Formats: sequence, C-alpha cells, structure tokens
Amino acid sequence: MASARTVPGFADSASFREAATRVVAVRTEEVFEHTEHVLDTSDIERVHDMRVATRRLRAALEIFAICFPKAQHRKVLKEVKRLADALGERRDPDVAIEAFARVRDTLPAGDRDGIKHLIEHLRVRQAGANETLGEALERVQREGLHERLLALTAEVQPA
Amino acid sequence: MRARKVKGLAPEMPLDEALQRIAETRLKEVRSFEHAVHDPDAVEDLHDMRIAAKRLRYVLEMSEPVLGAKARHGAKQAKKLQELLGEIHDCDEHLPLVERHLARLRGEDATAVAATAARTAADLEPAAAREAPHRRHYAGLEALAAYLRARRDVLYRRFVREWARLEKADFAASLNGEVT
Repeated sequence: MASARTVPGFADSASFREAATRVVAVRTEEVFEHTEHVLDTSDIERVHDMRVATRRLRAALEIFAICFPKAQHRKVLKEVKRLADALGERRDPDVAIEAFARVRDTLPAGDRDGIKHLIEHLRVRQAGANETLGEALERVQREGLHERLLALTAEVQPA
Repeated sequence: MRARKVKGLAPEMPLDEALQRIAETRLKEVRSFEHAVHDPDAVEDLHDMRIAAKRLRYVLEMSEPVLGAKARHGAKQAKKLQELLGEIHDCDEHLPLVERHLARLRGEDATAVAATAARTAADLEPAAAREAPHRRHYAGLEALAAYLRARRDVLYRRFVREWARLEKADFAASLNGEVT
C-alpha cells in the first residue's frame, strides 16, 4: 500500500484554509492516479490502493470542510463517498477470498473442496462488485469529479 | 459513524492550532468507545472504534510536518490500533459469511436427499445420504469456521493487552503524540 504523498508547502500554510487547498489538491491527484487497471481482478492491490487513496481524500474533505463553499463541498463529498462504497464492495470479496484461500492451502487435499466451493461463490460476488465499480468509475468520469475537486481547491486559493 | 464536530475551527486560524483541536476531538472519539474494550461481543462498538482510530490516524499523519515527531508517534499508535481492530472486524464479517454458506449447503442437501423418496414414502433409506451433493464440502468449511472463531479470540485478547499498554503508557500521550 502506497504511503500518502507529502503535501508541498503544507507546514508553511499561513492558515487552515490555505492548507486545505494544498491537501485536497494532492489527495485528489492520488485518487485519480489509481484508476488505471483498477478493474483487473488478478491484481487486487490496485483496488486496495485506490480505496486507501479515496479514504484519505474523504478524510481531508471532512477535516477541512469549513474551508470550502458548503454546497459544492457537500456534493463532491457525497460523490467521493459513493466511489469509496463501490471500491469497498469490490474489496470485501477480495479480502475474504485471500483469507479463505490461505486456510484452504493448509488443509489436506480431501478437505479443501468446501472452501473452494465458497470461493467460487465469492468470485461471482466479486464479478458483480467489479461491474458496479466500473459503472461508478464511468459516472465519476462523466460527471467530471476530478475536475470539480480541483476547481473546489482553486476557488478558495488565497490571493 | 459520523465524526464528532470539532468546536472552534475557523478557516483563517493558524494551521497548528486547528490541527491540535481536531486531534484532541478525534482522540476523545476513540476513548469514547472505552466501554467496549472489555466486551468481546461489542461488535458494532469495536467497529466504530476502528473508524475513530482511523480518523485520528489520518489527522495525525497529516499533522506531522506541523506538529512534529510526536504526531508521527501518535499516528503509528493509532494505525496499530486501527489495523488490529480491522483484523477483528474481518473475522466478525467472515464467520457469518461461512456460516450462511454452510446453512445454504445444508438446505440444498436436505432438498436433494428428500427428493430421492417418493412423496408418499413412510421413511427415508439411510443410503439417501449419499445423494447429498455437498457432503464433501463440510469438513473444510467447519475447519474454516473454527479457525475464524479461534483467530477472533486470539486477536481480541491481543487488542485488550494493547489497550492496557496504551493506558499504562498514558493513553493520551501515546495516541495523541503528546500534541495536547
């Protein structure tokens, strides 16, 4: 899992508001850098990394809420939460499959069938969650969430 | 779980003062779940405590360039707590998932076995058990359920020890990195 990127100039911010623009801009870029190959179920770390980046963005939006115009902030926060939910729905079966497979691999061959069967069920759920995530990503792109998040930070840039 | 409102924040206030206020509020939020620490069945509260620890961690991680090494230390403690509670939460989610799956298989097996008898049959032959399609699935799933239950217990005991350690080391100083 990638660490959060350092926010340039954060410590030198003259006010809470100035820090808000810097943090939200960096956290926004971190989320959208992870969109490529996120629907590839053979590499579950991609969803995990994007989910963590989304949670950090959401945390920043919540921490700095008072620094942004209320209506725009509420709208983008809601959309970031929706994206986080879709990522979470995909991540849940990923985690369960990985955890159950670790137990399965330690059992004698004759005792593995049940866990294999359960994992097959979870793969179906994973595929469904992947479709939902695909739709969520399309929506984010169609509605320009990335651009609106950056515009939100530009709007409150100090003079 | 909604985050507690941080009192006294203003956009034009100095950054260090704002971060300190937020960290204090987030620490109180974590401690507000103290009552759940010694209740292994407080699944929802332990889950909410994990979310509170995550919020504290993020604000302390963010604060490090302003509040210094103590914020980094506090963030590490909060991360440790969050991750441990996360592992417990995974067990709390996975065990019911396995049990629901087992219940579904038992239902499907009973239906398949019953289908071997005529509607007017007086009894069911023992050999009908062979017609249960999932009969080879139970051993592994029962072992998995036992493992998840046992792992949850082990992790919970570790969490209680970790909490006691934090309290002994002065909880506020450890988790808040002495920023207050």
